[in-house]
Amino acid sequence: MIRPRMAAENAITVSGLTKRYGDQVAVDAVTFEVRNGESFGILGPNGAGKTTTLEMIEGLRKPDGGEVTVLGRPVWPDPRDIQSSIGVQLQSTALFDKLSARELLELFAQFYGRSDGPERAMQALGLVGLEGKAEAQAEEMSGGQRQRLAIALALVHDPQVVFLDEPTTGLDPQARRNLWDVIRAINEEGGKTVVLTTHYLEEAEELCDRVAIMDQAKVIALDTPAGLIASLGADVRISYAEAGEEKVVYAHDAQAAVLELLQRANTEGTEIDDLSVRGPSLEDVFLNLTGRAFRE
Amino acid sequence: MRPGRIWATTIAQLKMMFRRRVAIFWSFVFPIILLSLLGLLFGRSIDAGTITVIDRSQTAQARQMIAVLDRTDGVTVKRSSKSVVDEQKRVKDGDSDALLVLTPAGSGQVNATLSYSNASATQAGIIQGVVSGAADRVSLHDTGSPPALQYRAISVDSNQLDYLDFLLPGVIAISIMISAVIGLSTVLVNWRKQGILRRLKLTPMPLWEFLVARIAASLVLATLQLVVLIVFGAAVFGVEISPTAWAAVPIALAGTLCFLAMGFTIGSMVAEPETADAVTNVITNPMMFLSGTFFPVAAMPDFVQTIAKVLPLYYLANGLRDTIVRDQGFMSVLPEFGVLCGVTAVLAALSLRTFRWE
Repeated sequence: MIRPRMAAENAITVSGLTKRYGDQVAVDAVTFEVRNGESFGILGPNGAGKTTTLEMIEGLRKPDGGEVTVLGRPVWPDPRDIQSSIGVQLQSTALFDKLSARELLELFAQFYGRSDGPERAMQALGLVGLEGKAEAQAEEMSGGQRQRLAIALALVHDPQVVFLDEPTTGLDPQARRNLWDVIRAINEEGGKTVVLTTHYLEEAEELCDRVAIMDQAKVIALDTPAGLIASLGADVRISYAEAGEEKVVYAHDAQAAVLELLQRANTEGTEIDDLSVRGPSLEDVFLNLTGRAFRE
Repeated sequence: MRPGRIWATTIAQLKMMFRRRVAIFWSFVFPIILLSLLGLLFGRSIDAGTITVIDRSQTAQARQMIAVLDRTDGVTVKRSSKSVVDEQKRVKDGDSDALLVLTPAGSGQVNATLSYSNASATQAGIIQGVVSGAADRVSLHDTGSPPALQYRAISVDSNQLDYLDFLLPGVIAISIMISAVIGLSTVLVNWRKQGILRRLKLTPMPLWEFLVARIAASLVLATLQLVVLIVFGAAVFGVEISPTAWAAVPIALAGTLCFLAMGFTIGSMVAEPETADAVTNVITNPMMFLSGTFFPVAAMPDFVQTIAKVLPLYYLANGLRDTIVRDQGFMSVLPEFGVLCGVTAVLAALSLRTFRWE
């Protein structure tokens, strides 16, 4: 994929990024760019290499090959150069217990050498909608609130680029939707570049300007969600069960395709069950690219 | 380096420490319970139990020895006219702690034979010490004949210090050790397991600054433990505090550093919090009993005395005891201070080699 863009327009460039664990290739020559102000998603099933890719960009895991720059600066060999410009929420919500949300945020502001800790702390709490929980400790919070606190910690030093590693994993649907609003606001109102990983197709479609689909250590597609879906070249997805076997077909004309299907079944004398017709989604893109169903 | 950042982190660490009830229990409540319990059990002196005496000699020396034993704090003397066999059986059955038989040995000599229960090594040691001390005073073996009882030389901790005076510095040493070791072993493992260390790695805060803050917080805690326990011991148990007690501060701080380094070493090597707890217990529990904190090392078997001298807690307890209740200034506990600093350096070097972020 050739994207003739100026380097300065890219918040992140990744080229040929590779990580091996013994014989296992966890990330295989991954290449992409994230533009300034973009909301960029890395979508893939568990074990696809999303987190490893993200952690190599954040400076947490040293790549075995390839290059990463963040805001024009190379991340490796010394990731400290980019630390103040990025904010990270790790997959495991790593919070000190026994400190209130406000104390925790002020401490992290200190880590970044900020003298305006108290203001920044309240501001970050406001960004994630946790103003009312300023004096609560992490252990008194719900899963969704803890996750928002972890995101607030990523924002407390006002970074330009924010990394969110599976931010909504383990949350109930309502908490997930609330967090989507928070992430959207960080990107749209806060003007920050957001890079997130997810294994929720809907989340990638909802939140991301562009999505890189990863499978088995490789990026297998990269485009806007609409562009990815359009690449299927179909307007509808028809799924049904025939003689106990699940089948999916893609078509342009729903009416004609369904009619044709039913007529054929009629002629052949087979039974069609569970017939459903809907617009294609990223799930279909994945199925089309890998031949496997996407498991969230 | 940013002093402001280290300061803020130290304050945060102190908040975390003092909000954790378990930590407060081990740092302040546990030592007070320990002190009170042992204090109530043994009163103001070592109570080694009851010595049954059978006097078959009816000599002046024998009467004098019994009188000395009677005056000795911590042992109860019970005269018996039953047979030696019967009384030995009572010792064997655990009904009596020791039996002292005084028999004439010709030409005015008295043979003193002590049979003691070896159920408790500590108690046995103290009883031996007490009887030997009494025998020395009566000078049974001044008369040229072989000593009536063969004792190893007993250093006089038990006889010179009231038990609570002896115990208080030991308990302070134990509480400082427990707080410091757990304060870094289990805590470090938890930080690593929960990904807090990785999260920290993403910030410009260097690990060493973070550790300095943690160490500073631990030193504050240790100083508080020292002050609170000294005040408690003096107020509740009337322990007489030496004017040199200020010199206990550098000893306590060196001891804290030493056990923090030990905790950091454990925390660096172990992956699971449960394992860290287990390793901590395996290391600290025997040390607690082998370092002369509850009872004088001198009252213990020789091999225990040898073991004690390689344990850092022995030096911490000794240093604290010399300064808090024995009127010794800092100069006289320099050796203890030096040993604690040396062990700290060795453990710190070891742990920095084994440290892992994740």
